[in-house]
Amino acid sequence: MTEPILAGGEPILAARTLSKEYGTASALVRAVDDVSLTVNQGESVAIVGPSGCGKSTLLYLLGGLERPTAGTLALDSQPIHDMPESRLARLRRHAVGFVFQAFHLVDELTALENIELPALLAGASPSAARERARDLLEQVDLSDRAAHLPSALSGGQRQRVAIARALANRPRVVLADEPTGNLDSAATTDVLRLFDQLRTAGQTLVVVTHDSRVAATADRLISMRDGAFVDETRLTGGSARSLTEITGLEA
Amino acid sequence: MGRALLIWRLALGDITRRRRQSALLVAMIAATTATLTLSLALQGVTNDPFARTRAATRGPDVSALFEPGFHGTMGTLAQFAALVRSPGVTASSGPYAVARLELIARGYRVRVHAEGRDRDRAQVDQPLLTAGHWTADGGVVIERGFAEALGVHVGDAILLNGRRFAVRGIALTTAMPISDPLIWLTRSDLLALAGGSEPLWESLNLKLSDPAAASAFADARNPPNAAWFLESWQELRADDSQTIANERQVLGIGAVLLAMIAIAGIAVLVGSRMAEQTRRIGLLKAVGGTPGLLATMLLAENLLLASAATVIGVAAGRVIAPELTAPGNSLLGSAGTAAVSAASVALAAALAFAVAIIATLLPALSGARTSTIRALNDPARPPRRHPWAIGLSSRLPAPGLLALRLIARRPRRTLLGMASLTIAVATVIATLMERHTPVLGVRVAGNILAADKQASLEHVATVLSVILVVVAAINLLFVTWATVLDARRPTALARALGATPNQVSTGLAGAQLVPGALAALFGLPAGLVVFGLTAGNPLNADPPIPLLLAVIPATLIAVAALTAIPARVGARRPVAEVLRSE
Amino acid sequence: MAEPNELPTPEPLQGYQLRVVQEVLLALLAGEASHGYQLRARLALALGPLAGALNDGQVYVTLSRLEKSGLVGSQRVGQAERPDRKVYSLTRQGRERVDTWLNDVSWPKPAPAEFHLKLVAAAAAGLADPVGIVDRQRRELLVGLAQAQRAALAEPPRSVAALLLEGVVLRLQADLRWLEACARYWNQARER
Ligand SMILES: Nc1ncnc2c1ncn2[C@@H]1O[C@H](COP(=O)(O)OP(=O)(O)OP(=O)(O)O)[C@@H](O)[C@H]1O
Ligand SMILES: [Mg+2]
Repeated sequence: MTEPILAGGEPILAARTLSKEYGTASALVRAVDDVSLTVNQGESVAIVGPSGCGKSTLLYLLGGLERPTAGTLALDSQPIHDMPESRLARLRRHAVGFVFQAFHLVDELTALENIELPALLAGASPSAARERARDLLEQVDLSDRAAHLPSALSGGQRQRVAIARALANRPRVVLADEPTGNLDSAATTDVLRLFDQLRTAGQTLVVVTHDSRVAATADRLISMRDGAFVDETRLTGGSARSLTEITGLEA
Repeated sequence: MGRALLIWRLALGDITRRRRQSALLVAMIAATTATLTLSLALQGVTNDPFARTRAATRGPDVSALFEPGFHGTMGTLAQFAALVRSPGVTASSGPYAVARLELIARGYRVRVHAEGRDRDRAQVDQPLLTAGHWTADGGVVIERGFAEALGVHVGDAILLNGRRFAVRGIALTTAMPISDPLIWLTRSDLLALAGGSEPLWESLNLKLSDPAAASAFADARNPPNAAWFLESWQELRADDSQTIANERQVLGIGAVLLAMIAIAGIAVLVGSRMAEQTRRIGLLKAVGGTPGLLATMLLAENLLLASAATVIGVAAGRVIAPELTAPGNSLLGSAGTAAVSAASVALAAALAFAVAIIATLLPALSGARTSTIRALNDPARPPRRHPWAIGLSSRLPAPGLLALRLIARRPRRTLLGMASLTIAVATVIATLMERHTPVLGVRVAGNILAADKQASLEHVATVLSVILVVVAAINLLFVTWATVLDARRPTALARALGATPNQVSTGLAGAQLVPGALAALFGLPAGLVVFGLTAGNPLNADPPIPLLLAVIPATLIAVAALTAIPARVGARRPVAEVLRSE
Repeated sequence: MAEPNELPTPEPLQGYQLRVVQEVLLALLAGEASHGYQLRARLALALGPLAGALNDGQVYVTLSRLEKSGLVGSQRVGQAERPDRKVYSLTRQGRERVDTWLNDVSWPKPAPAEFHLKLVAAAAAGLADPVGIVDRQRRELLVGLAQAQRAALAEPPRSVAALLLEGVVLRLQADLRWLEACARYWNQARER
């Protein structure tokens, strides 16, 4: 792991009055409503809110997988809200890594092959891609599962493979959508530990979740309701109470 | 009652929800039934028109031609004429004078056999007029097949040995002991034209008390070196129907090829629907449907589609049949029209229903066997893993990587698609070869009749290859579409992981182009084999090599063009929507 | 500390904690007789980052209290210059007390009645927006959760203290869920 980079570096993501609507006229759904957000280099941000409030939509917008209906969005200082699809795809390769609730591993590829896929798609040499995949597998502590197919992995292991895959091209920002949504408490802890390591290593991270444990690993917590931001809390750096105080275990 | 209504509603709902797939299934089955109908229709072609023409013209049991003047032949005209008095002969006509003349019409210069006839009707072989009038001085009657090949009609003017004649009539006959085209003139006109330069030939038509023994009768009176030649009606029929027999053979092989393509298509279709239907059965079971109810629903649905396909296929067969039986022109009646019998409709329907039942049984059985939970949770057809393909593909650029992995994911579908393309390419190759092969050994300059027979064979082969190419194209479209649908998640994922839309669409098209290239390569030799099987005398072929080789790039261009649109649509689907739905 | 008008401090928490330390010390002594510092070290290990909850002198105060009530006996051993000369052991009475404690199934899970009543009262009197109160509380708990979570993740694998921290985290998570439900309810109440 590298030295932590101070939060508050250059902005990786800068969204201004971003909106996304689905459907038309009578069936119009405003999934994301006038949202502005800046995520700086090295920062980790959690977005929480009830089901259907537009978290996933926002995340897909930030990653350039959806186009906003209105507003502007810059990824790595480049405006992407109206960037042509092909250019956006090439930018995304090295700018964004995705982690999904449903893991979305390729069923017929082994753990190792899944992890090297983004590097291969980005045109890396097979040997470089393979080497990077091995390092990442080591980092997520699954070296002994390299040749396993996803169907032979537990949920937590699958998600760790997916996280490793998201890191394959050393993206500027990792975007995770409900990364622990399908996991039990122990597997969630594994994934959280990984996110915590990434955060301390200075990886910029945006996590969308309704699991407060996941949210609690972020530097900054944003609450959403009906497509809009309603609250923002800083979870690190403030004057914290002692742990014993929190737990009510005072002597 | 309520149950039947429920089944009906479920079946109809399913069909309307999957319009495209249902239409494809109908198209596949219809193409197969149409070809089956066609080849069955041609089974009846040979006997029927010949027999009817023979009855209507009082056709001869034995037809004889006296050709004097060849070196070393024996026999006089008197001896020839005495054949009439042979035992077993019940009626006769002739001898009529026959001469070889040069006919010029509509830019053609052709050698014809002209027969000099009286105005009165002959007891045997009175050609049947299909247009105009019988011979008169200055007028000529032309055999129908020849007239159509020439494109002349009643009232047109032609030149015979440089003299002007009017076409008085068009007629049919079954007495054509010669392979040159036939016309009739008055005896006096014929004698005037022949001008004594060559000795005249004579023809004779005999009716026997035992028509079945005609061949024996002819053989007994055909000594070697005789100045005459006798031919039985059976031999005449065989000559005449040679073309039809060839066509039937081409069509028979065509039907087999088409059935193979259609079965490949249906297999892809049923395979890709099966996963979905197994799941649907699981779901309906979970909400209380019995497996029996569901199988009945599926059966109702497939039978409905099969019925529609039968109607379309048989109707198409009826429309196309006359197109293919054009050589019947030389005989009475149009061969194809009456030939679509109830039996062939029944056979076509049986085929369609068999397909429908198989398409029902497979998912019904697997749905009944699969537990409800598994049907709901597991993909019924997990993709295949081929380590070699994955290893190899990781050395390729992104589109190649995607294409190879898509192929390896569903190898069976790829093979089926490839098979159907190979068959189509083979048919095109065989058709091209057919077009460049003279019929009857040598192409006689100006022999229009031979060219006509050739043309009709080409016609059949062309119509067939058009059908085959169209069906193969539908198949290809469908295979591409099935691949695009099936690969929705992996392609969306590839895009989320950094593939550009162009790389994805190139990959999707490439997944068809690679097997397409192989199909073109295999199709070339396969086409030559098919040609060898269908052509009467394949060794006379004059292979148009540049044209044959051009089929390979043409196939690739066609595949690229056909797959471009589905591949593009597939690559531009909103990624988030696909990834979100799971 | 004993001013006449002062409200009683919330008794249950303090008393509960004291009792726990008593019983825990007794149970630890049931295995083997130990020095006070040994007992203290074991408790600190089990509590991990929460060891701050133990007052330095608390173990010794409790031990002498237990000794006075006859649940624990002691013996002086070793050199006179060491501070912990006493080795404590369990008496028969102490043993009985441990058994009763181990079989006790009461569960310290107070219902969040006080906070609930706070919201109801605030709404009824129109003093403050219950949603605002909930949001503030939520932020507070989230910050706490973040800290507990980080402390838990910082523990080495298979640490016994991590288990305690997981309990803290999961409880806070449960409280946060309930707060979400409160927010939903009071939001709707405001709209009505
Ligand atoms: N393709 C679509 N067409 C129409 N509406 C959509 C579409 N995708 C999402 N929505 C709507 O947009 C809103 C936000 O959806 P989104 O998936 O972003 O919510 P979410 O916060 O991620 O919910 P959850 O926590 O359940 O995942 C929802 O009301 C949803 O119904
Ligand atoms: Mg979501």
